[in-house]
Amino acid sequence: MDTVPIARDDNPTDRTPAQSASSLRATALSAYGEPYLWGLGGALALGVLMIVGLLFLVFWNGIATFYPKPIAEIRLTDGATIIAGEPIRSELYRPAADERGRMSPEAQRAMDAADGHANRTLYRIGNYDLYNEDFSWVSDHTVASVAHPADYHFVERLEWGPLIGRIKTATLSGQSRSAADLDRAVLDQAHDRARARWARIRELERDGIGAINHELEAERLHVRKVALTDGEGSSEHRRATDELATRSVELQAQYQRLVGEANALKAENARNEIVFADVTGREIKVPLAGIVRMYPANALNVFQAIGVYLSRWWEFLSDEPREANTEGGVLPAIFGTFAMTLLLVVAVTPFGVITALYLREYAKQGRLVAAVRISVNNLAGVPSIVYGVFGLGFFAYLVGGSIDAWFFQERLPSPTFGTGGLLWSSLTLAILTVPVVIVASEEALAAVPLSVREGSLACGASKWQTIRRVVLPQAMPGIMTGVILAMARGAGEVAPLMLVGVVKLAPELPIDGIFPFLHLERSFMHLGFHIYDVGFQSRNSEAGKPMVFVTTLLLITLVASMNAFAIVVRNRLKKRFAGAQF
Amino acid sequence: MTALAAARRKTRQSVKIIDRIADSVITIGGLSVIVAVIGIVAFLISVAIPLFTGGEASLRRDARLAVPPGRAVATFMDDHKILAVVLEEGGRLRAFHVATGTEIAVPTLDFGGRRLTSFGQSSMGDGIAFGFADGSVTVGRLRFGTVVLPTDQVPAGLRDLGERALSDGRSVYVQIDSAQVRKIEVDVDFDAPQPIAEDGSPIVALGYRIAGTVERPSRVLATVDGRGVVRLSRAESRRNILTGQTTTRVETSRFPDLPAALTVADVLLTESADQIYVADTTGIVHRFDSRDFTKPVLAESIDLFPGPENLTVIDFLIGEQSIVAGGSQGSVDVYARLQRADAKTVDGYQMIRIHRLEPHAGAVRHLQPSHRGKAFLTADENGAVWFRHSTSQQVLVKLEVAPEPRDVSALALSPRDDGAVALAIDGRYRAWDMNVPHPETTWASIFGHVWYEGYSEPSYTWQSSSGTDSFEPKFSLIPLMFGTFKATLYSLLFAVPIALLGAIYTSEFVHHRVRAVVKPTMEMMASLPSVVLGFIAALVLAPWVENWIAAILLVFVVLPVSLVAAAYAWQLIPQHYALRLQNIPKFSLMFVVVIAAFWIAFALGQVFEALFFAGDLRAWLDGKVGSPVPFLVLLGLPVALAITLTIFDRVAAERFAAALKARPRFQAALLDLGRWLAILAASVVLSVVIAWMLTAIGVDARNGLVGTYVQRNTLIVGFAMGFAVVPIIYTIAEDSLNAVPPHLRAASLACGATPWQTATSVILPTAMSGVFAAIMVGMGRAVGETMIVVMAAGNTPLLDWNVFNGLRALSANIAVELPEAVKDSTLFRMLFLAALVLFVMTFAINTGSEIIRQRFRRRAAQL
Repeated sequence: MDTVPIARDDNPTDRTPAQSASSLRATALSAYGEPYLWGLGGALALGVLMIVGLLFLVFWNGIATFYPKPIAEIRLTDGATIIAGEPIRSELYRPAADERGRMSPEAQRAMDAADGHANRTLYRIGNYDLYNEDFSWVSDHTVASVAHPADYHFVERLEWGPLIGRIKTATLSGQSRSAADLDRAVLDQAHDRARARWARIRELERDGIGAINHELEAERLHVRKVALTDGEGSSEHRRATDELATRSVELQAQYQRLVGEANALKAENARNEIVFADVTGREIKVPLAGIVRMYPANALNVFQAIGVYLSRWWEFLSDEPREANTEGGVLPAIFGTFAMTLLLVVAVTPFGVITALYLREYAKQGRLVAAVRISVNNLAGVPSIVYGVFGLGFFAYLVGGSIDAWFFQERLPSPTFGTGGLLWSSLTLAILTVPVVIVASEEALAAVPLSVREGSLACGASKWQTIRRVVLPQAMPGIMTGVILAMARGAGEVAPLMLVGVVKLAPELPIDGIFPFLHLERSFMHLGFHIYDVGFQSRNSEAGKPMVFVTTLLLITLVASMNAFAIVVRNRLKKRFAGAQF
Repeated sequence: MTALAAARRKTRQSVKIIDRIADSVITIGGLSVIVAVIGIVAFLISVAIPLFTGGEASLRRDARLAVPPGRAVATFMDDHKILAVVLEEGGRLRAFHVATGTEIAVPTLDFGGRRLTSFGQSSMGDGIAFGFADGSVTVGRLRFGTVVLPTDQVPAGLRDLGERALSDGRSVYVQIDSAQVRKIEVDVDFDAPQPIAEDGSPIVALGYRIAGTVERPSRVLATVDGRGVVRLSRAESRRNILTGQTTTRVETSRFPDLPAALTVADVLLTESADQIYVADTTGIVHRFDSRDFTKPVLAESIDLFPGPENLTVIDFLIGEQSIVAGGSQGSVDVYARLQRADAKTVDGYQMIRIHRLEPHAGAVRHLQPSHRGKAFLTADENGAVWFRHSTSQQVLVKLEVAPEPRDVSALALSPRDDGAVALAIDGRYRAWDMNVPHPETTWASIFGHVWYEGYSEPSYTWQSSSGTDSFEPKFSLIPLMFGTFKATLYSLLFAVPIALLGAIYTSEFVHHRVRAVVKPTMEMMASLPSVVLGFIAALVLAPWVENWIAAILLVFVVLPVSLVAAAYAWQLIPQHYALRLQNIPKFSLMFVVVIAAFWIAFALGQVFEALFFAGDLRAWLDGKVGSPVPFLVLLGLPVALAITLTIFDRVAAERFAAALKARPRFQAALLDLGRWLAILAASVVLSVVIAWMLTAIGVDARNGLVGTYVQRNTLIVGFAMGFAVVPIIYTIAEDSLNAVPPHLRAASLACGATPWQTATSVILPTAMSGVFAAIMVGMGRAVGETMIVVMAAGNTPLLDWNVFNGLRALSANIAVELPEAVKDSTLFRMLFLAALVLFVMTFAINTGSEIIRQRFRRRAAQL
């Protein structure tokens, strides 16, 4: 009896005899394909979960990395060993038989209860100069006690990675004090001053001395060039050589002055240092100027912790990498990524738009256009690494080699343009991304109603005038979208760049204060390659992991915001032009 | 009218010009895309082409020596192809300037009246050794003394030889450029002869090697005397640093006697003096194992030419692993000493012919191995001089000596393989410049089986570099193409079900609000940089999967089963509730089920591992523990399920449908659940039976599909690349499903079909080609994906189906090796060829998908 209302719910018009009703019901059960539906829906749910999980993983690790962690002091059950470090993560593992033998009976029972698994924690113990490792696994069953003494400091150094220890003595401006009568504020001030001196030394060495070296090198190259064009021993050559001699004397004097200043600062820095004691009491001397940041990890309140967190982010975004890229900042990589992407836009936009104009406005729709379309589609589907190979062979070696032979003969055999660089990377990625722009621009042009064009032509405008004044402005949103999508694609590509100009550490940015300011031939750093390099090429991938996560977060944010921006631009401009119909 | 005409005439000239310019610029710009595509292909081809051209030679000089030389025992040539030196049979040394044919004076070899009977030359360096008729030997050095002088230091009064060369009779001065001159001369010296054969019988064959260090060289001589006695002599020189005097200690050991009546053609010995080959003119080679210097043993005797053919020349190739033998009927064969289980020799090694090269038309008279690679020069009695390569089996350059007489008396190969000189018996000679940049590559060597030195059989191998000098690069693209294929296959196996099923669900069954969130999310994923996926896969996923591998395998079973179970449970819900919960709640429930399935799999992972893999999956994979049956049961499950379903459909489907019809919904749902459980049970039983039978006939998945576990493996690549491919396939497939005209959907639903029936019978068939195109595009992306494979695949170029082993894809190989490759080297060109192969593969896939998609568009438009 209770089936009747269901049938009514199922199909209100169903007022036929019971026989037909039951037939409908029965068909309905298998016809709904419920098990298959759940298969489909489950696949979709799995896909969404995968994506959400991935994004969550990256975001969580990226966001949390810079937050200061407490330092644990762990005494092991063997009584002798004591270590101090930041807990990184815990995991289950399967202890070997001999390790099981060393466990206490309770631990053995717990292990048996967990199917032969035990828990262990990875600690970042730092002090690489003492221990020769950065990390240490500690099995839970070996832990006797864990403490969090307040006087432990986490010290980020310029060399040897982080240090974890207690302040023993500090020497400030040559005066030694013990940790007890050390005023924190005084120490911080001294640290700031030492860091300022260090920054000044770096500025002197890089900008001052670097500029001198550059000028000297330029003079030398000039002499060589004169020798190549006018011959050795010619009057021009002799004049150039004399010039070089006088100029190098001047530069030498400048150089001495700068070195003198730097040395004075270095001497002052040498009078400031801190002696730390590690957990076992071994001493580590660190010059104050070599400390990037230090904080008492277990004595921080929330605001101080956030302060450390933000200062690390600031360093990450505004400073240069150190310690084989596993610490410090990624400014050069951000800069390189942006410079490359901008150049890419400059190269890709005209070609993409012109091709789209040709396809939509000029070409007769026939075989030729079909061929162009197929070409565009194929360009879009060619693996990026193939473009890298092409870029290396064609741009860097063939075109760049020729440019070197014609214009930079004096620098040979060291290549100028004849090797990977910013320009070649941008051009390679421009070919890679041009289909994106073409397709988007074509769609945008196609969306401009024919009536608009006809109206313009009817008013006496020429074809080009119509395109420039009427069609292009209307198609602009679509074209912009295409360009931004191309930027997003280009910013995330790494494989071709590995062949045409990205390096793990670029000593000079592609833009600086030396003429011609923008150095297209220089190799550069890139966020994507930074991820690859730090994660895979560095001494200790565990030490680099936090950095990789943060860089990944940055890169994803960059790409995603470009994509989101493209969508916003498209929507906004779409609305603006929505009524532009005749 | 006239006003209008006037206005038209008044169109400014500049507007017209700009219009014309815009016209041509835009047309050229548009067409440049085609040019770009063709240009890329053409450029890649142009770089790769030289791999397949053997080499070229140009005749540098065709001249005659004033005094014809006698037959050569040995020839020498300097690095710059300036001088050629011939040691005549009588022991006289002759040198001449190659470019002009002018004879240059060299020191005469004064052996104190002894007659030269044999000669040996060290493989590296400048060591030479002479054997004499009185049973004594001596060692010495032959060097080309080369110095580069400034032009103003060249002495006056030199004879002009022509070809920018001057000579004082003893040295040749060759102009390098305006400021520099290269002076070159021949220096020879040798020590006092030492008796070797106690009975004074002549030394008829001699092998000489220098090993050890420069400070403490160890010289080894293998000699055969006129009575067939083989001896190995070792001379160690020690230089006293204080006095500067050198003391030499000579040890000689006598070998087991060889059969009498031996006409020794040559004796070869290795640098470490552990193998000695004595070759007879009939082609029989006796191999001695002299690893124990005091007790050498005859390891093997083999006839290199079993037929009537005689052996004429024999020598090592560089590295001393292969031996080239030339025969009296023109055969040129390459043998290698290989370890064989079934070898009937004393030391378990056996000489095996690894290459038969293109035979000469007549007897092979001369053989000159290269100092740089596995190439060598052969000359036959008809005067044909061929430069060939052992591994690639190709004749690189065919040269011809001067017409009549064609009898080649001496043949020299320049140390850099870039030139050759052949002297005829009448003193005429020809010198060639050769350019053979890539001797080791042919179509066959890149895409076929190649028998490399030191390998027990022909193989497909990619190994582009190594630490040792005698290393031979192995360039087979097959393992790399296989790697690409394997990675693509596994990633598609992972991605296609998720993407396609998800796309169908999104387009047909999901609430539009859900769709508005899910679709852009997936599209956004498509732009996720692959370096990020690679990093996550290699540094996060790989260690995690390694820890949880059993649980992850279990997910493949638990997830589908729990989804279907949930579906049958859902059917049990009264219909009015089911309808009310139709949309978002149902979809949310699916999430819950998926998460629950993962939870179950991870909770049961231990039990599963204990039941199926003897408690330790890694050890099970290594083949150490457990039986192969349980895993085969798992593999067989889908097959068994398909079989039972088919059988059920054939046998009982009709009756069952009738039975369902006769019952109310709840009972029908219960019955349906029962049916499913019964089928599941039946398939498990069937699959167990199949597994038993397969095991009985010796099938074990561990030998093929699975095997030893490596942390960065194909499964990881499949997951990570699946991640990259899912959004692409999903988006395109969803688009094409959505593009099916809505009136079709409406018509089907209006006819009373359920959404499921509409989806399977109307929408999917219509959109099929679009869906297929989506898979093709996804495949194209997977084929070319680079960073993920570089980071997560372990980069081992293996031909191995094992899911738990690594791979090396074409794209990853390019990314890893090209930055290190020297411009225009063979590796460089090989990598361009790899890029070309990738291009062609993706070109084919993309064109295919494009054609299919266009067909779909046409069809959709017709509807």
